[in-house]
Amino acid sequence: MELEFSKNKITFEKCLSDLDKLVIKFVKILDASKVDYVIISGYIAILFGRSRATEDVDLFIEEMPFEKFNTFWNALDKAGFECINAFSPEEAFNDFLKEKLAIRFALKGNFEPNFELKFPKSKYNIYSLNNKVEVFLNGEKLLSSEIELQIAFKLSLGSDKDFEDARHLYNTFKEHLDLNLLKKQISELQVEKQAEKVLWVKDYI
Amino acid sequence: MGKGLHLTKKDLLELEEEKKSNRKQRMDFIDLYCAWLKKTPNKVWSKQQNKLINK
Repeated sequence: MELEFSKNKITFEKCLSDLDKLVIKFVKILDASKVDYVIISGYIAILFGRSRATEDVDLFIEEMPFEKFNTFWNALDKAGFECINAFSPEEAFNDFLKEKLAIRFALKGNFEPNFELKFPKSKYNIYSLNNKVEVFLNGEKLLSSEIELQIAFKLSLGSDKDFEDARHLYNTFKEHLDLNLLKKQISELQVEKQAEKVLWVKDYI
Repeated sequence: MGKGLHLTKKDLLELEEEKKSNRKQRMDFIDLYCAWLKKTPNKVWSKQQNKLINK
């Protein structure tokens, strides 16, 4: 894998998948609507080569007033997306986002892949939004969660798929990671035992 | 005996061992795949990955 990695920036080129193209289209609308966001979870592992598909792309978006969200909703509608679990911007904003529940957008007439958007709720969510990595994919900018946090968070989620994602990201970025930061995130999320099993031991037991 | 697996304690232990072994094999595959990924040009691995993702 050829990539340039610095503290808060990863630059690389690859043949884009349909999912990559859709993500680029979606984040362009976020950017045009001036909505701060961070992409987290499974898509990040897939973006960096993990050999699996996904039905959704998870993002945290900044808390914002209804007027700004309404503008964003209209921009998505104009670009061919629709919300699949709320019928109006008012419902999406009041009954979902403000209640810290997720709303999902997909291309009109489709159910997946979809974009799962949430306002940040926990300290972990807020940290993700405030500590992003800029990923330049074929010159297009995406905002990803810090890789060290992503690995620790995957360990805390705890399913087989999450452990595999964590090991993939760790293996792929091992030489570039801030190991002290990774250990700190692991300790803060109290997943030392999982890290021992999934990351530190060469042979998975 | 009616329908159903009628598993014994021994069968359940075997199943647990099988799940453990499957997990280990998947993790071993991740290691193998990542080693290949890291020495393979982006154009090559991403084309292969797209065959899976673009289905």
